Amino acid sequence: MKITVKVIGPFIYQTGFSEKEIEVKEPVTAGQLLSLINLPEDRPKIVTRNGKAVAPKEELQDGDRIAICPIYSGG
Amino acid sequence: MNGWTGNLLRINLTTGTVKKETFSDEFAKKWVGGRGFALKILWDELKPGIDPLGPENKLIVALGPIAGVPAPNTGKTIVAAKSPLTGGYGDGNLGTRVTMELRKAGYDGLIIEGRSGSPVYLSIVDDRVEILPAGEIWGKGTYETNDWIYKKYGKAAGVLTIGQGGENKVLYAVIRSLEGRAGGRPGIGAVMGSKNLKAIVVKGSGEIPVADPAGMKTLGAGDLRKVGEIDKKTGWSIQGTNGVLSWLNEVAALPVGNMRKTSHPDAWKIDGQRLNAARIATYGCPNCTMRCGIAIHDHEGRESELDYENIGMLGSNLEIFDLDQVASLNYLCDEYGLDTISAGAVLGFYADAVARGDVKGDFKFGDAERAKELLRMTAYREGVGDFLAEGTMRMARKIGRNSIDYAIQVKGLECSAYNCKFVPGMALAFATSPIGAHHKESWVIMFEITQTSRDSYGPEKAQKVVDLQRIRGGIFEFIVSCRFPWIELGWDLQHYADYFNKITGLNWTLDDLYKVGDRIYSLMKLFWLREFPNWDRTMDYPPKVWFDPSNADKEGPIAGKILEWDKYQKLLDSYYQIRGWDKRGIPTKKTALELGLAKEAAEVEKIGRLE
Repeated sequence: MKITVKVIGPFIYQTGFSEKEIEVKEPVTAGQLLSLINLPEDRPKIVTRNGKAVAPKEELQDGDRIAICPIYSGG
Repeated sequence: MNGWTGNLLRINLTTGTVKKETFSDEFAKKWVGGRGFALKILWDELKPGIDPLGPENKLIVALGPIAGVPAPNTGKTIVAAKSPLTGGYGDGNLGTRVTMELRKAGYDGLIIEGRSGSPVYLSIVDDRVEILPAGEIWGKGTYETNDWIYKKYGKAAGVLTIGQGGENKVLYAVIRSLEGRAGGRPGIGAVMGSKNLKAIVVKGSGEIPVADPAGMKTLGAGDLRKVGEIDKKTGWSIQGTNGVLSWLNEVAALPVGNMRKTSHPDAWKIDGQRLNAARIATYGCPNCTMRCGIAIHDHEGRESELDYENIGMLGSNLEIFDLDQVASLNYLCDEYGLDTISAGAVLGFYADAVARGDVKGDFKFGDAERAKELLRMTAYREGVGDFLAEGTMRMARKIGRNSIDYAIQVKGLECSAYNCKFVPGMALAFATSPIGAHHKESWVIMFEITQTSRDSYGPEKAQKVVDLQRIRGGIFEFIVSCRFPWIELGWDLQHYADYFNKITGLNWTLDDLYKVGDRIYSLMKLFWLREFPNWDRTMDYPPKVWFDPSNADKEGPIAGKILEWDKYQKLLDSYYQIRGWDKRGIPTKKTALELGLAKEAAEVEKIGRLE
C-alpha cells in the first residue's frame, strides 16, 4: 500500500526529504513506519495521520498521510 | 542588595526632570522585576480611567535580576503601560542591548511620565541622563532612527525606538530594537509616541550586581555553550519558529483568510524549509545561542527578519503565499513600528468584512501590493488607514451589526497565529491571557492536539494552561529572560532558579517563584477590574466565530467541528477554580490574601465585592 510521509522542521535535513510517497507491505503500524525512515531515535516526535494524532500501535491504511514533527512548544 | 541595582529612574517629560529613586528589599522580593515591577508601579501610580494616550499614563521599562547577566538568552526587556488597545494592563518583552546597558548604568527600570512639548529622545549614559531634541528623527522609520542613534552613540548602545506608527498612535504600535525585534503588542509604542518620545538610548559602564560573580560567570558561560550545543544537535534554529507552520497546516490550525480557514495547499511556499533556503542572515538577541531571527530579501530587495508569527499572520492569514512579499509586509511593519500579529489580523478582518459586504473597500485576500499600501496608510492614519489603525475590536464596533463576531481578538488584542476554532485548550489560553490574546502566556496547542483528545474540554486542559502561564507568563516575565531554551530545547527550569539564587544570594525554590507569578496574575486581573468595574466572564471569551457551526471546516481533519459554547463554559470554570478565582473570573478575597494582595483587594472592594 502507498503512504504519503510528510517530514516537518529540522527532521527534513536528517531524512533527506520533506514529503514523499512510499510503498510498504501490509500490515504496517505507525511505529513500524517510523523505523523505515532515517530519523534520530532519541528525538521526541509527534506523529499525525491525516491531521489527527495517531498511536504507534495503530495500523495504517492505504492512502494515509503521515506527518512527523519534532516537538514544538510555541514561540 | 545583590541581584538588583536597587534603583529606578523616573523621567518626567512634561517638566523635564529626572530623579533616581531607590526601591526596598521588600518590594524586590515581592515583585522580583520585569512584569512584576511594571504592574505594581502602574497599579500604585495610575488613577483608574485615565486616557492611555494622555500624559497621565506612564511608560515602564523594567528588568529583572537575571536580565543582562551572561547566561542563556537573558537579553530581554519588559515594556509596559496601560494599553490604548485594550484599556487594561499591557506589556511585552523584546530582545535589546538596553537590557544589559541599563543594568550596567545602575538601573532596574525606567518610569517615564508626562508628555514632552516637542519630539525628544532620552539619553542615559550612566548617571548622565538627558532629554534631547529628536526633531531630526521624528517622522522617520525605525531603521533610519536606529542608524542616526548608532552614529552618535556607537552600535554597542542599547536603543529602543518607535516608528511612524507609534508617533501617529496606531493602537497596536510597538517598540522596536535591533534588526527585527519588537515588543509591546498592546500599543505600548503608541504610548511612547503620545509622550513625544522617539527613542531611548542607554550606555552603561558599571557591573550588574551579582551575589556570586565568579560562580555565576562560570555557570552562565558554560550553560550558554551547552544551550548552543543542544540547538545544533536538534537543528532547531535551522527553521527557527517557522518550523511549526507545516505542522499547523497538517492538523488544521493554521490561520488562513482571517482564521476562517485552517489550512491551505500553498502553505509549503512559506514554510520553514523555504525560509531557511532564502536566508541571507541570522539575528538574535544579546546573550543568545539559539538565534531565531531569519532574515531574507523582501520583494523590494530589502533585508527583512522573519519568524513564524509574522509569516502566519501576514502570510497565510492574508492568503499571501509569496515569501518575499510576506517579507515586504514584515519589513514595513518593522519600519513603521507596527505589531505584525495585529497588523495581519486587522488586514484579514478588513478583507473578510469587505468580502461579506459589511464595509465597502477594495482589499481582497492575496493582494500583497494593496496590503503594503494599507500598512503605509495605517502608519500615517491616512484615509482608510485611520480606521485600520484602531484594531479589530474598534473597527467592528464602528461597522456594527455582528461584525464583532469576526474580529479575531480577546479584550481588544488580536490573537496570535493559531487558529483555534477547534482547539479548545488553546482558545482558553488566548481567552485568559492577561493582556488580551497572546501566545506568549501559554501555548498548549501541540500538547492538546497530540496528547489529549482534541474535542475534550476536561480540567486537564485548564490545568495545562495554568501550568504554562505560571512559567511563561510568570517566571520568565519577571526574572526577565527568554523562554526559548526551556520551551524548545528542554533546558530544565531548575536552571533558572539556580541562576536566580546565584545572582541574588537568596535560596528560592521554583515554588517560591511560582507564587510570585500567581500574585502577578491575580493583580493583573485586579488592574483590569479597576478599569472595567462591570467585569464578568464574558471578558474571557474567545472570538465568537470560533463557535459558529456555519464556520466549521467543510473537509479535512476537523470537518464539521467547531468550539462548543456550553463545554467552553465548563472549561473556563475549571480554569477559574484552579486559579482561585470566582465564576466572574475575579480573584476571591481568600486568594488575594494568600498572595499578599490585601491592600490591593481592599482598593478593589471600593468598587465591587470580592467573593
